[in-house]
Amino acid sequence: MIRRPAAPPETLVPGVALVVVLITFFCTPLMSGRALTAFDVYNTFQGLAQLGLLTLGLGLTMIAGEFDLSVAGTYVLGGMLAVRTGQSSAILGIVLAVGAGAAIGAVQGGIIARLRIPSLPVTLATYVALLGLTSAMSGGLSVTYTNTGATLWMDRHIAGIFSPPSLITLTGFVIAAAVFGGTRLGREIRAIGGDRRASRVAGVRVERGLVGLFTASGALPALGGALFSYSYAAANPNPGLQPLILATVGCLVGGVSLVGGRGLPAGLLAGALSVALLGQVDAITAIPDYYTELLYAALLGVIVAVDAPGLRRGLDRLKARAATIRTPDRRP
Amino acid sequence: MSDMAGDRARPQVCVEVLSRSFGGVAAVREVSFTVGAGEIHGLCGHNGAGKSTVVKMLSGQLAPDSGRIVIGGQPVVLGSRQAAQRLGVALVDQELSVVPELTVLDNLLLGGVSTPLLNRRRAAAARCRQVLGDMGLDRIRPQQPLAELSIGERQLVEVARALSQNARLVILDEPTATLSDVETEYVFAAIRRVAARGCSVIFVSHRLSEVLELCDTVTVLRDGRRIATTPASELTVSDLIVQMLGEAPHRLTAARAPDPQPGHSLRIEGLRVPGRLTDFSLTAQAGRVYALAGQLGSGASDVLRALAGLHPQATGRVRLRDRAVPFRNPVGAAAAGVAFVSSDRKSEGLFLDKPIAANFLATRLPGLGRAGLLSSRREHQAARSLAELVGIADHRLREPTAALSGGNQQRVFVGRSLGRDDVYALLLDEPTRGVDIGGRAAIHRLLRAAADAGLIVVFASTELEELLELGDVIITMRETRMVARYEGGADGAVLMRDMTQGERAA
Amino acid sequence: MTAADNDRSPAMATARDLPGRQDGADTAPPAQEPASAAAAGRLSGLRGVDPLDVGIVIVVLAVIVTGMLTTRFFSLANARAILASTASVGITAIGATVVMIAGSAVSLAVSQTATVVAMIFLATQQFGLAAAIIAGLLSGVAMTAIQGAVIGFWTANPIVLTIAAGFAIGGVATWISGGTTVYPQVTAFNGLNDTPLGLPLAVYVLLAITGVAQWLLRRTTAGRYMYLIGENPRAARAAGLPVGRVTVIAWAIFGACIALTGVFLAAFNTSANASLGGTLSLDAIAAVLAGGTAIGGGKGSAVRTLGGALLISAISDLLLLRGFSTGIQLLVKGLLVAFVVIAVHVRSTRGRR
Repeated sequence: MIRRPAAPPETLVPGVALVVVLITFFCTPLMSGRALTAFDVYNTFQGLAQLGLLTLGLGLTMIAGEFDLSVAGTYVLGGMLAVRTGQSSAILGIVLAVGAGAAIGAVQGGIIARLRIPSLPVTLATYVALLGLTSAMSGGLSVTYTNTGATLWMDRHIAGIFSPPSLITLTGFVIAAAVFGGTRLGREIRAIGGDRRASRVAGVRVERGLVGLFTASGALPALGGALFSYSYAAANPNPGLQPLILATVGCLVGGVSLVGGRGLPAGLLAGALSVALLGQVDAITAIPDYYTELLYAALLGVIVAVDAPGLRRGLDRLKARAATIRTPDRRP
Repeated sequence: MSDMAGDRARPQVCVEVLSRSFGGVAAVREVSFTVGAGEIHGLCGHNGAGKSTVVKMLSGQLAPDSGRIVIGGQPVVLGSRQAAQRLGVALVDQELSVVPELTVLDNLLLGGVSTPLLNRRRAAAARCRQVLGDMGLDRIRPQQPLAELSIGERQLVEVARALSQNARLVILDEPTATLSDVETEYVFAAIRRVAARGCSVIFVSHRLSEVLELCDTVTVLRDGRRIATTPASELTVSDLIVQMLGEAPHRLTAARAPDPQPGHSLRIEGLRVPGRLTDFSLTAQAGRVYALAGQLGSGASDVLRALAGLHPQATGRVRLRDRAVPFRNPVGAAAAGVAFVSSDRKSEGLFLDKPIAANFLATRLPGLGRAGLLSSRREHQAARSLAELVGIADHRLREPTAALSGGNQQRVFVGRSLGRDDVYALLLDEPTRGVDIGGRAAIHRLLRAAADAGLIVVFASTELEELLELGDVIITMRETRMVARYEGGADGAVLMRDMTQGERAA
Repeated sequence: MTAADNDRSPAMATARDLPGRQDGADTAPPAQEPASAAAAGRLSGLRGVDPLDVGIVIVVLAVIVTGMLTTRFFSLANARAILASTASVGITAIGATVVMIAGSAVSLAVSQTATVVAMIFLATQQFGLAAAIIAGLLSGVAMTAIQGAVIGFWTANPIVLTIAAGFAIGGVATWISGGTTVYPQVTAFNGLNDTPLGLPLAVYVLLAITGVAQWLLRRTTAGRYMYLIGENPRAARAAGLPVGRVTVIAWAIFGACIALTGVFLAAFNTSANASLGGTLSLDAIAAVLAGGTAIGGGKGSAVRTLGGALLISAISDLLLLRGFSTGIQLLVKGLLVAFVVIAVHVRSTRGRR
């Protein structure tokens, strides 16, 4: 019998992580000397809005066994496109950004699915190209968003702790969860990631699924980037590797495995929220940056160890050796 | 036996003059047979007979070179698995095709052509529970992750998936190889139910008594041709064996008298791999060839894999030339003098993009130079001498190994373990799999010569001719245990019986 | 990870021992043609002419032709500039090539590692240049070889592991430096900024490293093992090849290369802070991919990477001279990498259909 722990890692890991981070969050008054306010919660959700859709897009591709590095690029491009074309009409900017993101994603997905190329190098190249494109569009400088009406609207407080971008982000997760759990797509995406050959034999249309997935992983970050740029009133063409790394951390903490087949949109939300909470804890307590960095290192270290087949083999070996010692054989 | 066995006036599935070759080697030659609605049709044949190829063509994974397939009176072109599914062909593949990361319910619903876009959770779960109950899996919940199920249970889920697709034709390729007797009974009951509804069933299996128990008709293939199609009621297991082998199984006397010299030996005691191998013991002497005869799931290949270090959970004692073999990791096993030729040369054997010479030398690099450096001269020498030994032309040494035929690739794979001072035991899993007659003879010669040169040779195979020809000592295995041991005077039929009896042997 | 049938999680496949049936009793002859047609001229092994190289030659010709139409491109000063700008990324890229060939794909901890080495180098200046360099090298090799051990022996996923390592190393860097810039107390490193024959010392080091790496990959047992393990880790394991040990060696070499880059960066900037590493991780990967080394492992060479790095530099330089912005340069770089990656993949799978 092959046994697994009672709660699958895709709910256990994000669940535990979120609980731990929440506890840390609520303990921050101990370190900062002031009580938590609604503003802190608002900021946390703003943090979620900043990287949430990016994490969702990346996470969905990881569940299918792929890795879309270009999400960071579509994020940046989406922001730039929205700002440049949405100076008078915010909606137009968002539509164009999302459309461009979806188109880029679809092309990538088509190449990866049809040619059966590993996604990492292709999406890396796309990432570089998109960074370049965005930078070229703005001459390498940040572009200011002059539509102050839209910016103010974006930064509104709703119910004291939300804002339109954070609500849209949360809605995105809810829709993803609904599609994932409520339709056959969720099952098929996980199958594609879990065992592609078996999925094909079972009749899953793998190529179509992949193209659709990459289209989503192009559109979602573009939307996220657009909203963020509006809210921030500027589009930055060069945020560095940080967004990508944090999104990856959010996915891994969210219970998604890089090998594929495991993960849920709810877990991704927990992961993204954990990252946002930690960022806020960082800001409130003004602890040195390296605490957070080392914490992430430890977190990911555990995740890597749990997933490493070689480690499991080593443990099997130890167990077998122990069993042999316990039952010494009789020498002839 | 199906209730509708008589209703064969209107065959639901017709296979007409189907042929398929691979690289000039014919795998299926003009095979024709029909399956009626509600008929359970067995398909038997020894290795290389063409069963798998026929199955692949019927399920849409391969296109036939010539001939046609007719389903429900209409000739069909099965361009892909999905296309075949849409035309009503369900498949239980030889290789387990369920996704462990999904739940049982998800696996049952996966890929179905008629599955709706929106999940109807409760209805689907109820139906799932019913299907599971039919398969004897009552204690399994629909929401359980498949990873928690044993291999046998996963197999049952896959069978259930295929049978619940309302197909016109269900093909099951070796579905019971990893199942217990009880589980097999459930599969049979499910198959009979589906046949009673008018579905055609093709049942491919090595377990001949099961075939006779379940099927209405049995078609036997040999060397790619259809030999006979007979009602099961008129057949016995021996008849089937005769049809499969082509003649009354012959008696083979030992090719050589057992070597009285003690020599070096490989001593295996109490080798076990949880779930795959139970208490295997053997003392193999140098100079003789030992054959492990066992089908899928018998444990034969697990013995070899455990010795080669690929089962970290294996326990037992193994001594080679009086030294303990650290058999839980492959580097240790190789260092102790164990060389392993796996059954899958493509993904676990050769480095297909590399030149043939590189493959020959892959396991002897340290000896080809000093202090970690490679000497071109010695490389060329070694490569050339190996090429000569196995019969590959010198000038091909720089070609990528992928360019070779299957038989030649296998020669390279076997050859790379020969002619080395540091190899004392050579283990081969299906040494001539996918190899033509000529290549097979060449590889057997190589192995015999290796044994004569003092190597301990142990191989696992399901090919009767190979077992009888090459094995000085034949050990039959079934369901993780040894069954019997023969030294000379072995009989093809007896071996077959040992290997394929589905029920507990008397 | 083999290129031919990417039916298993192509992104980052680690060989899993599936509890399923692994022995197929009934076998059909393999579906691939032994075809002479496939062999003819379409070798994807270590030697032979292939269409990818033809494609690259075309790109190079395009660069040359455009260069001729651009003033100052074919000048000595410009050639020096191109070489100089290739140096730091190039040295790291050579190391990254060795690791990619050995099957570990990529590392995202490179920038942080280079930064820490730079800090250590500057902090140990008072012990003399040689000692400082050794300190830097040792720390770089140690930090990277540990990652190699976990990846080699435990088959850990390189992406996740190096992200984790990146955090750990970056955290340590911030901790040691207290978040501020590290200044050397003594400057013994000025010699490193010399430009013999007008070329930065780093360029010579790059050329030397390329030669050493190439030799190592071709003429040593370890190098040969790397190609085998990279192409088919399962087969390598089953054959008893020393996968763990060789992976550590590959990563140690990578660590040495990153360390050298860190040392030169420190010498050039004369100070080190957390952002010194910049985008080194991705730049190095891009250079390796642009040279035609496959991300799946088992193929490629140090010379190719040198070519890839030079090509990227040359194209960026050309675009700069023609007045295009950094953005366009990046865009073209991305498209070039995409083109090479697709061509490499198509070529290697074509020979196996």
